[in-house]
Amino acid sequence: MTRASEGMAGKSPRRVSIDLKTLGPAIALLLLCIIGFLLNPAFISEGNLTNLLTRSAFIGIIAVGATFVITAGGIDLSVGSMAAAIAGVMIIVMDNAVETLGSGVPTVLLGCGVAIILGIGAGWVNGALTTKGKIEAFIVTLGTMGIYRSLVTYFADGGTLSLNFEVRGTYRPVYYDSFLGLPFPVWVFIAVAICGWLLLNRTAFGRYCTAIGSNEAVAKYSAINVDRVKTLTYIIQGLCVSFATIIYVPRLGSASASTGVLWELEAIAAVIIGGTVLKGGYGRIGGTILGALILTTIGNILNFTDMISNYLNGTMQGLIIIVAVFLQRSDWKLGKSKKS
Amino acid sequence: MHAETSAPAAIIEAVNISKSFGPVPVLFSVSMDVRPGEVHALIGENGAGKSTLMKILSGFHDPTSGQIRLDGKPASLPPNGAAEKLGVVLIHQELNLAEQLTVEENVFLGRGMKKNGFLDRVAMRAAVQKHLDEIGLDILPTDRISSLTIAQKQMVEIVKAVSRNARILIMDEPTAVLTEEETLVFYRQVEKLKNSGVGIVFVSHKLNEVKAIADRVTILRDGQWIDTRPSQDLTPDMMAQMMVGRELSDLYPPMQEVDVDAEVVLAVDGLCTADVDSVSFSLRKGEILGFSGLIGAGRTAVFEAICGLAPIESGTIRLFGRDVGPMTVAEARNAGLAYLTKDRKEKGLLLNKKMQPNLTLFALPKFVKNFTIDRKAEEDALQRAIRRFDVRTLDPEITVGKLSGGNQQKLLLAKIMECDPKIVIIDEPTRGIDVGTKQQIYHFIAALAAEGVSVVVISSEMPEIIGICHRVIVMREGHITGVLTGDHINENEIMRYAAGLKREELH
Amino acid sequence: MFMKKTLGAMALTGALAFAGSAVAQDTIKIGVSYPTPTHAWAAGMNWHAEQAEKRLEKLYPDVDLILVNSPDPGAQASALEDLVSVHQIDALVVLPFESEPLTDPVLNVKKSGAWITVVDRGLSQPGIEDLYVAGNNPELGRVSAQYMKTRLKDGDNIVILRGIPTVIDNERFDAFMAEIEGSGINVLDHKHANWNRDDGFEVMQDFLSRFPDIDAVWAQDDDIAIGVVAALKQAGRDGDGMFVVGGAGMKETIKSIMDGDTLIPVDVLYPPAMIATAMDATVAAFKSNGPVAGRYILGATLITPENAANYYFPESPF
Repeated sequence: MTRASEGMAGKSPRRVSIDLKTLGPAIALLLLCIIGFLLNPAFISEGNLTNLLTRSAFIGIIAVGATFVITAGGIDLSVGSMAAAIAGVMIIVMDNAVETLGSGVPTVLLGCGVAIILGIGAGWVNGALTTKGKIEAFIVTLGTMGIYRSLVTYFADGGTLSLNFEVRGTYRPVYYDSFLGLPFPVWVFIAVAICGWLLLNRTAFGRYCTAIGSNEAVAKYSAINVDRVKTLTYIIQGLCVSFATIIYVPRLGSASASTGVLWELEAIAAVIIGGTVLKGGYGRIGGTILGALILTTIGNILNFTDMISNYLNGTMQGLIIIVAVFLQRSDWKLGKSKKS
Repeated sequence: MHAETSAPAAIIEAVNISKSFGPVPVLFSVSMDVRPGEVHALIGENGAGKSTLMKILSGFHDPTSGQIRLDGKPASLPPNGAAEKLGVVLIHQELNLAEQLTVEENVFLGRGMKKNGFLDRVAMRAAVQKHLDEIGLDILPTDRISSLTIAQKQMVEIVKAVSRNARILIMDEPTAVLTEEETLVFYRQVEKLKNSGVGIVFVSHKLNEVKAIADRVTILRDGQWIDTRPSQDLTPDMMAQMMVGRELSDLYPPMQEVDVDAEVVLAVDGLCTADVDSVSFSLRKGEILGFSGLIGAGRTAVFEAICGLAPIESGTIRLFGRDVGPMTVAEARNAGLAYLTKDRKEKGLLLNKKMQPNLTLFALPKFVKNFTIDRKAEEDALQRAIRRFDVRTLDPEITVGKLSGGNQQKLLLAKIMECDPKIVIIDEPTRGIDVGTKQQIYHFIAALAAEGVSVVVISSEMPEIIGICHRVIVMREGHITGVLTGDHINENEIMRYAAGLKREELH
Repeated sequence: MFMKKTLGAMALTGALAFAGSAVAQDTIKIGVSYPTPTHAWAAGMNWHAEQAEKRLEKLYPDVDLILVNSPDPGAQASALEDLVSVHQIDALVVLPFESEPLTDPVLNVKKSGAWITVVDRGLSQPGIEDLYVAGNNPELGRVSAQYMKTRLKDGDNIVILRGIPTVIDNERFDAFMAEIEGSGINVLDHKHANWNRDDGFEVMQDFLSRFPDIDAVWAQDDDIAIGVVAALKQAGRDGDGMFVVGGAGMKETIKSIMDGDTLIPVDVLYPPAMIATAMDATVAAFKSNGPVAGRYILGATLITPENAANYYFPESPF
């Protein structure tokens, strides 16, 4: 409240509503943290906060990519399956490379390289089918979602693919070790977030994404290569999925048909909670990151209490998502009450 | 009061209407009345309050103060178009038809004729057919709206209003999107309505048209009532002056002749696309070349193809003496060729964005420094553009959709000019904008040409083609039918080529 | 030329059709229908079914087993119709996707005169099947609790990670709680980890942050147990006699039990191989002179380092 009125004093009323829009998800997250602390003080223990941040990294990184796709007016439903398929192929490649490359760093690097190439490739396929193939993104990615998911089932023979035990030893620190008190996945998350923010807010590419999502015809008449920019958003999405997978695989060293199930919806939810508009034209990386943190925190808090029946977890998650978006959309209300 | 003659009593009267939106006043004690069987034109610059007054007259807005009288009695009009039941119908500029339904279904939308509880299609179809015949509109009640031309859609709107026993018909720029031919059909329809006792209010920026069909004219300026007079007492020039409050004798700038030896900057030979058949022409440095013709004659298609917005089937394009193949829009822009669309709302501007991102979007690579956008340079560009093109807005943070049509057009012009093109194609430079802004745009085009920029003006408004172009090319059905220069540039000649009555053998 | 070819093709088709019906006269056709494997346990079941098919067809040349898997209940119902109309099966072994929607389709197969064997998930109407083969969910919970009681003492704390909220999960959980009651062992909390490694990891992380003193974990399932073990190792709380009990009989888990792992010292069997048991018994109904019809509930055997080798199938995906 105080911040809002300071803004009011300094600038025109428009500024206030923008600030509130940004603050919406932040307020929601803060409220959640307070609730978490009240339920159980162990919530703010260093260990739990670290767990929370690390856990957010997967969805968060994928959601940064999704912010680009959605801002440019697209949608990618295939990310969860893509993550599972990339994880599966990574594990197969690394397991097979042990004989020639050994179980050291080169094998892990090979796995990561394969992941990045696959991510870019899968993103390109989604993008090219959407733009050159002129099929709706929803349908294209619904299709590739099924394809990637069944591919990992096929690779794993319906079961689970497991990483070679020695390679796991080499790779394990990528998930479990820390630098300056923060686990590596959190650093990757921070790096991806900063790059994403710069790309969306400070470069011509980001401006083009916004323009295309806002009105594709105007973008075309403004000398923007619409197909190329849209394809690039899917490639960025694929790359983000690769990064998420690279930090996911060392956690349990396995991939199965149930890996990454519903990640696409969590990523999209994080993006929308963060204030990006689902129909495109307006994207917020900062909001997306808050959105990812909110989603992870909800799950964390529910594990911290036995006050709510296990069967109602979904209800709580749904309610909190809706409230978070409501906080972010209802800025006009706060703005009005200030005027009077 | 002004009109205390023996004229018949007014159907609807607005008495001392004032209107504010929040703290912003837009109308100051405006009065106006409409009598049965009269055509009452409402004119004024963009932002003068015409739209607001129309919406108050039709119940879409409530006046802040003042009174609406219907048949002499104070009335409070029901909101959201329900005033139609009282015989007051507003036809919006953005036509309000369900595109996927048929003509008949649209006319009877929400109040179908019923027989035994079922819609009586036969009766409805016959009723619609009767109205269509009266108008002389050559479409079927079963045609889908989406398959009609804009003019036909407009007629359907009128049929819809008539079938609802409209007594007052309020039309927002009905002829803005009509061709000359279609406009004539429209005039005939207005005449019929008039004779049947309907009072018609219409807004137009075409002052000749106002002179031709209006009985009385009400002029607004900056929300103030300026005058209401019989149209025989007014000339178009007088109307224009009253609208802007200043002399407008120089609507069109003086024409500077092009140097006959000037370099040919664009030469098109045998261009064919889906809508264009073997079009050839050339453009000189500093020349203003007009493209005239009926809507759908292929003028826009020619330039969309040249600028990389539509595929080319065959033909050559020489730009500054160099053969260029099919280009992308970005390549055309980099070569100094820029196309300004006639559809500023759907293709020109991002209506939900602010002015700044809109301004720099077309020339964005120019603003990139070290891979990031130079925001200071963008800020400067906006300030420059606001000054150079006289974009008038109190709040530079406003979303573009909220700007008036004239200011949007200026911003679009600024956006295209941001990449410093050598050749500019301006499609319908003044569609739906007021006379004051028109004048500014004409002068701007003339100034560009004087600086050595070549300008192509595609326009369906003949006076402006005649007023500013050095040379005029007339197209019909995808072909060039004539090229006019000097004294041959007049309405008669253009119309004959455009209508296919005359055809030049060009090669 | 074209005519000739067509005629030839028709003749061939006719011959094949004849051959088909001729064979149908004296072979015993058994349809085996189960859900498409989308998780490891089901993949194991698929593998065991294929193994049993090879083995049985080799043993009895006149037995023809037809394996069909279906991605959803609707598809499974259609598959059952095809088995009757196209293959004219003499017996059906079915693991229903869901009880309710498949009861009628199975009843229709029954009406065609076929022998019915139902596996794992019962139908919602009693008396349709001739033979019922199933794992024992309550027994799985009970055996797990009994093992816990042998290892823990009064006042020790455990946490429970449950599966996906379903009847199976409830049966296991309720039986576990009934058995543990009165032992003095505290159940700190129970949360759903959806038979999934990632969820197991995250739920266990949160349990570890929340409860400073945990002595054992009942993970109910081998996939969850893998996540739990990773979380324990991350927090450095895998020592001090801490142990995890999973369930099902995943080959990796059984292997580590054979190798004497202390963190997962035992496992409780809920074997995907039950489909093979059902196929064996169904063939026996045609081939054996002993009676077969009835209910056959498999024990939820406690797998220990001593007996682990009997349950180890390194070739199976599960």
